[in-house]
Amino acid sequence: MQIKDYIIRRLMILPFLILGTSIIVFALTRIGGSPIGIYLSHEMNPAEVQEMKERFHLDKPVPIQYFYWIKGVFQGDLGWSGVASAPVVDVFPKKFAATMELAIAAGIVAVSLGIAMGTFAGARRNKLSDHIIRVVSVSGASMPLFWFSILLLIVFWVWLGWFPIGRSDPNLFEAIAHPTGFYTIDAVIAGNFAAFKDAIWHLVMPAVALGYGATAIIARMMRSSLIEELQEDYVDAAKAKGLAENVVLKKHARRNALVPTVTVIGLTFGFLLQGTVVAEIIFRWPGLGRWMAAAVLRGDQATIMTYVMFTSILFLIVNLVVDVIYANLDRRVELGD
Amino acid sequence: MDQDGTSNSNSFSNRLIASVEDLKVYFHSKKGLLHSVDGVSFDIVDGEIMGLVGETGCGKSVTARSFMQLVQTPPGVIAGGKIRFKSKKTGNQIVDLLSLTENQIRELRGERIAMIFQDPGKALNPGLTIRAQIAEVFQEHRENDVFEKAKLSHVLKGFIGVVLKKYMRQETNLFIRLLLFFPPIRSYKKKLDKAIDKLVTEALAETQIPNPEKVMERYPHELSGGMKQRVMIAQAIACNPDLLIADEPTTALDVIVQARILDLIKELQKRHKTSVLYISHDLSLVRKICDRVAVMFAGKIVETGNSDDIFKNPKHPYTKGLIRASFMTHERGKLEEIDGINAT
Repeated sequence: MQIKDYIIRRLMILPFLILGTSIIVFALTRIGGSPIGIYLSHEMNPAEVQEMKERFHLDKPVPIQYFYWIKGVFQGDLGWSGVASAPVVDVFPKKFAATMELAIAAGIVAVSLGIAMGTFAGARRNKLSDHIIRVVSVSGASMPLFWFSILLLIVFWVWLGWFPIGRSDPNLFEAIAHPTGFYTIDAVIAGNFAAFKDAIWHLVMPAVALGYGATAIIARMMRSSLIEELQEDYVDAAKAKGLAENVVLKKHARRNALVPTVTVIGLTFGFLLQGTVVAEIIFRWPGLGRWMAAAVLRGDQATIMTYVMFTSILFLIVNLVVDVIYANLDRRVELGD
Repeated sequence: MDQDGTSNSNSFSNRLIASVEDLKVYFHSKKGLLHSVDGVSFDIVDGEIMGLVGETGCGKSVTARSFMQLVQTPPGVIAGGKIRFKSKKTGNQIVDLLSLTENQIRELRGERIAMIFQDPGKALNPGLTIRAQIAEVFQEHRENDVFEKAKLSHVLKGFIGVVLKKYMRQETNLFIRLLLFFPPIRSYKKKLDKAIDKLVTEALAETQIPNPEKVMERYPHELSGGMKQRVMIAQAIACNPDLLIADEPTTALDVIVQARILDLIKELQKRHKTSVLYISHDLSLVRKICDRVAVMFAGKIVETGNSDDIFKNPKHPYTKGLIRASFMTHERGKLEEIDGINAT
């Protein structure tokens, strides 16, 4: 099947998958009880409480509530966030941009570093550099994120003072317009170098902390699959053609070693999203993760629904992208069902 | 024998293309040192097909790989010996293949000495088109020809030439790739690609592959085993090498395809006057195709001679056993066994 046809078909299935997910997620959140608590205050009398229930359709059965929710979604109303004291649609874009900026930065760190380290180690199996990289990646895979984050915080913020926490210097942040919400991109658009440097500087610690675990997983996968590929006959055949060692490694072995690694990269993306919750709380990053953590603690169901729907849609898209890359790398893969 | 590996010793007769002398290749294994090849000597006469027969694990493939320094070290150790090779292209200079540096041997690999591997399904890269894989040989060894064919010899000097040369040698980085993507270098690159296409088509046509232009764009998994082996052969003879090493080239194929591939190798050998080192465990094949045969057993050569002589009149008990064990088709009876010795 052509890759284009495949993408179109998958995109056509996507809405149904999203609808199915939303039903399940809605049912699960409502099992935790009515979300009315978040809208009430101590001064309200029973009549007012009843009025609130009717206003948010919470006096109706759960399936009916779901239809009101989905109707709201199509009208651009995702509900009222009790935690942020504002409509979810108003808060979401800014927080989304902040989280995506962090996740993408961490992803870039993880993918580029992971593949580079894995290739380097795999090509120098059992040499000193290989051992060092293995130690680094084992520690990355086994250290809990919150602990590594706090270590970074102590060393680079408290002791050395090299990197700040939070997302930005407020003065610089206020000085430029924010059309995209991505601080780095906004700074480039505004042509403000100081703001750009500020954005990058604030990104370094949370991105490294968040990306470290994923780097370790990718590097280990890349190393072992490269070692496997280097044993293959086609590597010897490529050498027998007189190709340079570097060409054999990069054009022949690495390309095939990337096939299993890409699958792992797709899975790692979920790992990164989970991690944003911890990283955002520790580094005071004003993103979705922190908002979500507060919403869970206070039973803010409109926020929870939005967040869970957002992550599942992201997952579906990432999986599609991984499938397409996979088929591009390994020509034996038939894109179908 | 002087330092850079060249020599003109008297023992290397003029009619030889290569001569293996007392080759010793050992492997470190958990059980100790494995004497995989233990003092092997034989000559390959220019223009002949030399057979190297023996059972699985007797060191045939390791001997063959030593010609190209393809034995992995470690765990392998080249413990001694010489493989002298007469490079016809560089004025019949005689070199010791084992003592060449990485860059020197790279110049010979694929250019003067080529190899056909046992399983074409594994020896072709599954992720690259046939074109890309054969093109590499030309890009590596026939740079000037390609430039000439593309009528681009005039740009060889200067900046564009440097970029295009990097492209040919596959030493591209992001910057070079960007340059190649934009005009005017893009059009030069397209001309080069066209010239390479032509060379690849010609190489494929040599091996009687139907529709070489179409086969070129395919991936290995889309071709049959016989076709893949033809592609391997096309790749090996692309630069018209002096010595072709065929390491059990028909073992992975079925009988009918085997016969065709064998005919093809023989025909190409005659046409190009290439010398062939044909490695096999199949005596009937070896008898059909080889002029001379060396019989190998447990890392040693036990008998060498004209193939007819050896088959009619084997001297060594192992050879006798080997022949008796293989020519049993006409009479039913107990299959002959050969007592092995512990190679370690």
